Amino acid sequence: MVALDAGRMLMEAGANASSIDAIVAQYARGLGAERVDLRIGYASLAITIGIGSNGITRMREVGHLGVNQRLDLELRRLGDRVVRENLTVAHTRGELERLANKTRRHSALVMAVAVGLACAAFGRLLKVDWPGTGPVLVSAAIGQFVRRELLSRHANVFLCASFVAFLSSLLGGLGAHSLDSETVAMAMIASILLLVPGIPCVNAQSDILDGHPTLGSARAVTVAVALIFVAVGLWLAQVVLESCWKGALELHP
Amino acid sequence: MSCFYLLHPEPAHPLEYFFHQIICGALAAVGFGVLFNISFRSLPWCALTGGLALAVRSCCLSYLGWNLEASSFAAALVVSTTVLVLRARTDISQNALDVVGCIPMVPGMFAAKAILGMFALTSTDAGHGTETLTEAVQYTLRVMFTVGAIGTGLAIPALMRHVRVTK
Repeated sequence: MVALDAGRMLMEAGANASSIDAIVAQYARGLGAERVDLRIGYASLAITIGIGSNGITRMREVGHLGVNQRLDLELRRLGDRVVRENLTVAHTRGELERLANKTRRHSALVMAVAVGLACAAFGRLLKVDWPGTGPVLVSAAIGQFVRRELLSRHANVFLCASFVAFLSSLLGGLGAHSLDSETVAMAMIASILLLVPGIPCVNAQSDILDGHPTLGSARAVTVAVALIFVAVGLWLAQVVLESCWKGALELHP
Repeated sequence: MSCFYLLHPEPAHPLEYFFHQIICGALAAVGFGVLFNISFRSLPWCALTGGLALAVRSCCLSYLGWNLEASSFAAALVVSTTVLVLRARTDISQNALDVVGCIPMVPGMFAAKAILGMFALTSTDAGHGTETLTEAVQYTLRVMFTVGAIGTGLAIPALMRHVRVTK
């Protein structure tokens, strides 16, 4: 179960299937298993551990799949320690609990500013003019702040994506328009690029290429649905702004 | 060269445009690095991969005249190979560093345009329906091919690593 818990935490931290497979096997073998068979699903993990002629199978539910690189790195290091230092099951479990509770995250403010900067840079790559870039920075930062708050209150991920897309694109569009930007539509799109699920998107493909088509397909479907919800938010913001400005501005890029 | 060229609406000189793309790619990668909870100490690696990805893609687009899909593939391949070589020096998993570097190339704008185009179909008069549908399908295909190209470019070096030299 300790190896399975490590796998669950890795999955929730955004690791791909081949990494999870290798690291869970490392934990299990380090803790005494002779054979390890892992089945990785989108919402659950199942492991069969064999020692001699005996075997046992256990399953574990996986929570929301986010991205936490520091936790991912700490779990890999702990896997190395389990093998190198011959850690006991109790010690490893204690370390896992410590990692789950103590791994630091960047503060909400730092994250919001960083995401705002990233979206503003994205905006420049999408040819948003300078008057539109400032509002993109601010609206994306506000969007990230709201998204973090909503997710910490266990809001549905897809509804949260829609709401944040609506809020960020609305603020981005209003700001860009008020600063006489000529690229209001692009500024609205750049404001929501924080919501594009990049890691799940790449993981989906790498999982399929690594021989995990079921998990890869599930990730791809989730990415597609997330994009649809993001687009709904953007579309609603466009409808609101178009009705406010009564066709005075062409919002469709 | 003045550093204020970045404030121009559209950098005119090819070299200025090139640097503009690199800086924006690096900034976007750093921002997403923070979002993915990468430590401050490792953020320069994110900037390096993001800048490298945009440098290669811009080079292929502007100087070699390749299309977006081929340029994105080449950039992803270069980023993934570089990360593989530098892996021991960085404090980040290869997967995360690959993705952070390539995130500035994910065609989020095309994806938004594709889905908005589908929405627009429901409210478009028959005269513009075909045009709108064609545009939406074009954007959808470009998203699929570009994301596919990025994913394949990222995967190839890692998959090649597992190929055994001897049987």
